[in-house]
Amino acid sequence: MSCGNPQTEQDALMIRRKKFDQARTCVKCKTNSGSIVVRYAVYCKECFFPLVASKFRRSLEPTINPITDGPRRRGLKASGNLLLGLSGGLGSTVLLDLVNRTYFKEPSTENGIEKPRGGKDHPRNGSVWAKTAVCYVETCSAFSGVRDKTEEIRAVVDKYDRFDFIPLRIEDAFDNAWWENIGGPPTQQEFGVDVTNEDLFLSTFATGETDSPVSCLKNYIASLPTQTAVPSAVQTLTRLLLLHTAMMTASSHLLLGTSLTSLSISLISSISQGGGFVVREEAQEEWTPRMSVDSNTTERKAGTVRTVRPLRDIGMKECGIWAWWNGLHIVGRERFPGGRQSIGALTKDFIIGLERDYPSTVSTIARTCAKLAPKEGADSICLICERPAQYGIQDWKARISIRSFEDLSSASYRPSHFPERIIKTSPTTPNPPRSPSLTPLLCYACHTTLTSRSIRGTTTNSSMIRRQSVPLPVWVNSRFDIDEKSNGEIWARTQMKGDQMKASIAEFLLNG
Amino acid sequence: MSTISLKIEFGGGLELLFANQRSYSLSIPAIVPTNNRTTPTPPPTPDQPQEPVETKPADVTYLIHHMRDHLLKEREELFIEDDTVRPGILVLINDVDWELEGEGEYVLKDGDEVVFISTLHGG
Ligand SMILES: [Zn+2]
Ligand SMILES: [Zn+2]
Repeated sequence: MSCGNPQTEQDALMIRRKKFDQARTCVKCKTNSGSIVVRYAVYCKECFFPLVASKFRRSLEPTINPITDGPRRRGLKASGNLLLGLSGGLGSTVLLDLVNRTYFKEPSTENGIEKPRGGKDHPRNGSVWAKTAVCYVETCSAFSGVRDKTEEIRAVVDKYDRFDFIPLRIEDAFDNAWWENIGGPPTQQEFGVDVTNEDLFLSTFATGETDSPVSCLKNYIASLPTQTAVPSAVQTLTRLLLLHTAMMTASSHLLLGTSLTSLSISLISSISQGGGFVVREEAQEEWTPRMSVDSNTTERKAGTVRTVRPLRDIGMKECGIWAWWNGLHIVGRERFPGGRQSIGALTKDFIIGLERDYPSTVSTIARTCAKLAPKEGADSICLICERPAQYGIQDWKARISIRSFEDLSSASYRPSHFPERIIKTSPTTPNPPRSPSLTPLLCYACHTTLTSRSIRGTTTNSSMIRRQSVPLPVWVNSRFDIDEKSNGEIWARTQMKGDQMKASIAEFLLNG
Repeated sequence: MSTISLKIEFGGGLELLFANQRSYSLSIPAIVPTNNRTTPTPPPTPDQPQEPVETKPADVTYLIHHMRDHLLKEREELFIEDDTVRPGILVLINDVDWELEGEGEYVLKDGDEVVFISTLHGG
């Protein structure tokens, strides 16, 4: 006897059954002959479009007004502008189309894309959000043999003639000019991190020593210990570039084209890479910029950016059919070269195969993850991904990991109950003065991305010298400062004591 | 030997595997080997006499093999897997989801339009 969802139960038993229930007639209008099967239900072409559009609105609209799930009968009004992340992939291309049709299109132009009367700045064409921009992050510099698709993406955005286009490049994450352009505090000193040691000690680069943003990026990528870490790192950099762009454009919402299928892939892949603590953030999250924006550049002071994935109940199949029947051009998004054996790529193959053979299981994954809540509260914000982090991950790792002799010796000169935080060199240390460690300021997943080696051994393509001084993204760099009075020791900037940094770290910084 | 004419289209970037050509018109035999072999069987030799070839009416499974053998330009593993299309590739037969038409077992008719759409290009 079971009280669960019979469809899900059936999948759970892994009994392969017919792809659709009952007859070939549409379950909605019960008149037309069916054209598509969506999780065992048959829909005709006419009923398919409103089905997808209503799933999209049902996911997005409760998040538009500043108070989520509040009454919306008075209408939808966001507190800021809208930023759409467009990768050129299927999901984000469909998202752009749905946003345009739902919130910008005049009723008379139901079919085909037509230009709005009055142009993109006409007040009629932006009642929910005052302004809408589309941001694309070109990642080709992170990989060899990948073509630059910026112009193809620009052509997609230009067709709508009402969205501002903001093209970025993944190396902007290492570019001080970009950082200052979006209103970031000028970087006085750049830091490198030693990824050969789990403590991730920081060192300073001498002035003029740092390379171009592209070579910093390549150095960062080359320093990563596994194939799995590369797409994860690129994803995190992309996410932070989008979030900072949302801040810069005074956007209250960042919309991403993550479908139900991709959400399940990223949830499983994130959990298997140590991201279980932020499993809810994978579905929806709020991010508050640490810096305040210069009020000259935007009318709205930097507020919270809400990341929403309005396609999270719509599978890849529905997206693919939507794009085909609406004649959308998919620029495409390449698989990361050489990443076929990464956890992300393997998870993708697994989930997509599962979705074909047992269509309900994939939505079960997303629903189950939505119910997960971490047992312990977040007590800090990770410096690299700016997501909630748990304090003390390094202690925990030390307890569960099999360490090499080298690791043991480096950990041995501090008592295990005294976790090293960002700390001034202890006077009792017998060794030469040690630099501060980045590890206590990172979440488990980012620490794993930078340090966790695969069974097959460490990378051999990067020299040890490079690995001992790997550049950091600009938003991490700007968190540290040099204390001139105490022989150039590195200190976390006072900014880090912001609201988000909870007692443990903030207290330490105050007391030194 | 009678043939059937078909129109094939690609969506979602799948055309990249097929010389970047979005649509093809092609003819295939109406009756094909059950093992989906798309090239003629080699002539019989004295020590290897011709086995009688089992046949079936041309279906979508045969079409997929034909496309792999004659149209696909690169990376067949991105198109075909276990004698069918790889998971994540959608098929429409005359604008209807092939899951409603018996998938690979659908028997092709002259003038059928078959669309292959990739959903593998992520979000
Ligand atoms: Zn209907
Ligand atoms: Zn992190």
